[in-house]
Amino acid sequence: MIVTKNLQKSFKGHEVLKGIDQTIEKGEKVVIIGPSGSGKSTFLRCLNLLEEPTAGEIWFEGNNITDKKTDINLLRQKMGMVFQQFNLFPHITVKQNITLAPVKLGVMTQEEADRKAEELLQRVGLPDKANQYPNQLSGGQKQRIAIARALAMNPDVMLFDEPTSALDPEMVGEVLGLMKQLADEGMTMVVVTHEMGFAKEVASRVLFIDEGVVKEEAAPEEFFGNPKDERLKEFLSKVL
Amino acid sequence: MSHFLKNISDALYAAILEENRYLFYLEGIKVTIIVSLLAILLGVAIGLLVAVVKVASANNKKLWLLNKICNIYTTVIRATPAIVQLLILSNLIFTSRNSNEILVAALCFGINSGAYVAEIIRAGLESIDKGQMEAGRSLGFTYIQTMKLIIIPQAIKNILPALGNEFITLIKETSIAGVVAVTDLTKAAQYIGSVTWDVLTPLLIAAACYLVMVLGLTKLLGIFERRLAQGDRN
Repeated sequence: MIVTKNLQKSFKGHEVLKGIDQTIEKGEKVVIIGPSGSGKSTFLRCLNLLEEPTAGEIWFEGNNITDKKTDINLLRQKMGMVFQQFNLFPHITVKQNITLAPVKLGVMTQEEADRKAEELLQRVGLPDKANQYPNQLSGGQKQRIAIARALAMNPDVMLFDEPTSALDPEMVGEVLGLMKQLADEGMTMVVVTHEMGFAKEVASRVLFIDEGVVKEEAAPEEFFGNPKDERLKEFLSKVL
Repeated sequence: MSHFLKNISDALYAAILEENRYLFYLEGIKVTIIVSLLAILLGVAIGLLVAVVKVASANNKKLWLLNKICNIYTTVIRATPAIVQLLILSNLIFTSRNSNEILVAALCFGINSGAYVAEIIRAGLESIDKGQMEAGRSLGFTYIQTMKLIIIPQAIKNILPALGNEFITLIKETSIAGVVAVTDLTKAAQYIGSVTWDVLTPLLIAAACYLVMVLGLTKLLGIFERRLAQGDRN
C-alpha cells in the first residue's frame, strides 16, 4: 500500500532521514519508536508529503506521490492524519470539524456527512459533543474528535504522529483504546509513539528509527523480547 | 457671563449659519468620507494582495520576486510621511490641469494605507498556529481552500481590531489632503476661518465632526467584532 524507496530528507544541510526503504502492506499496523530527534516523525510526515523528501520515492496505492505531476491533494484524502497537538479547527463546532472536509471536497452531501458524523461521534464515544466547540473539550476528547475527523474521509490508511504525547496521563487510555479498536477493525495504521504497551499489544511490526535510519524491525515479540541492535537495547532498557 | 455666552453664540452663528456656511462643512465631510472610503477599499485590496504574497512566499520559492517587490513597497511607504507621498504623487504624476484632486488623494491614501493593512493582515494570518494549515492539507484541501475555510476565518478575529484602528487613522490622515487642493473637512474649516476672521471656532467644529465620524466607525466595528466572536467561547 505504501512503499518508500531510499527516502531522504534534510533540513538546511542537516540530514534527518538517510535513506529509508519500507513497504507497508494493507491491514498492517506499523508502530515506529525511537529517541527524539531520530527522524521518526519526519518519516511519518513525509508519507503524506507534509514534509517534502529531498531524495527518494514514495508510492501510495500505485501512485508515485513524490512525482510533481501527482495530485497530492487527492491522495491525501485517502490518508488520514492525527497530530500530537490535535489541530482541531477552533472556529467551528465538533460536528462541523468532522463534516467540513467531506462536504467541501465534494465526497459527500451535507446530509450524508451529518449522518456519518453522528455515527463517528457514537463510535468515539462522544455523541453529546456534536454542537460544542473544540475549546470546550478535554485533551483526550479533542484527540478522539481529531481521529473522527480523519475517519470521516474514509481513509485507506491512518497516520498517527505521537497522538498521546500531549495528553494528561489519565487521558492516554481513552485514545489508545480507540486506536486499538480501529486496529481490530482492520485499518492500516502507521503510528509514531512512545507507548511501548500499545506497540506490544497492537503492532504487527515495530520499527526502531535512530539517526535517520531503520536500525531494527520485527514483530513485537521478537522486537521487545530479543532486540539485536545495541542502540535499541540501550533505548529499551531506558523506557521499559 | 451673558457677555461670554453672547460671544460664543455670535461666533457659532458666524461660523455656521451666516451665509449658509454649514454647507461648506457638509461638502467637506462628504469629500472626507469619499476620500476615506475609496482609500479604505483600495487599501484593503492592496493590503490583502500583498499580505497573501508575503505569507504564501514562505512555502513557495517561485514567488520570491513578487515578495521582494511587496517588501520594498511596504518598507518605502511606511518609512516616508504621508504628506510627502501625497505631494509627490500629485506634483509628479498628476500634473494635468483637469486631473481630479479627490481621486488623486484617494489613490495616494489607498496606496499608503495598503502598506499598513498588508502588515496587519500578514500578522493576523501568521498568528494562526501552523498546525491548522497542516491539518487542513492532511484532509486533502488545497492551500487556497485551507486559507479560505480554516485560516482566514480564524485570522479575521485577530485582524479586525487592528484594521479598525487603521481605518480611524486613515480618516484623520485625510485631513492633510488640503495641501493638494482638495476641499475636505479641514480645508473647509480653514476657509471659513479665513472669511470670518475667527479661525478657532470652525476648527473646533471640524474636530467635533471628526470625533462623531470616528465614534460612529468604532461603534460599527464593535458590532462586527461581537458578531464574529460568537463561535469563540473559551
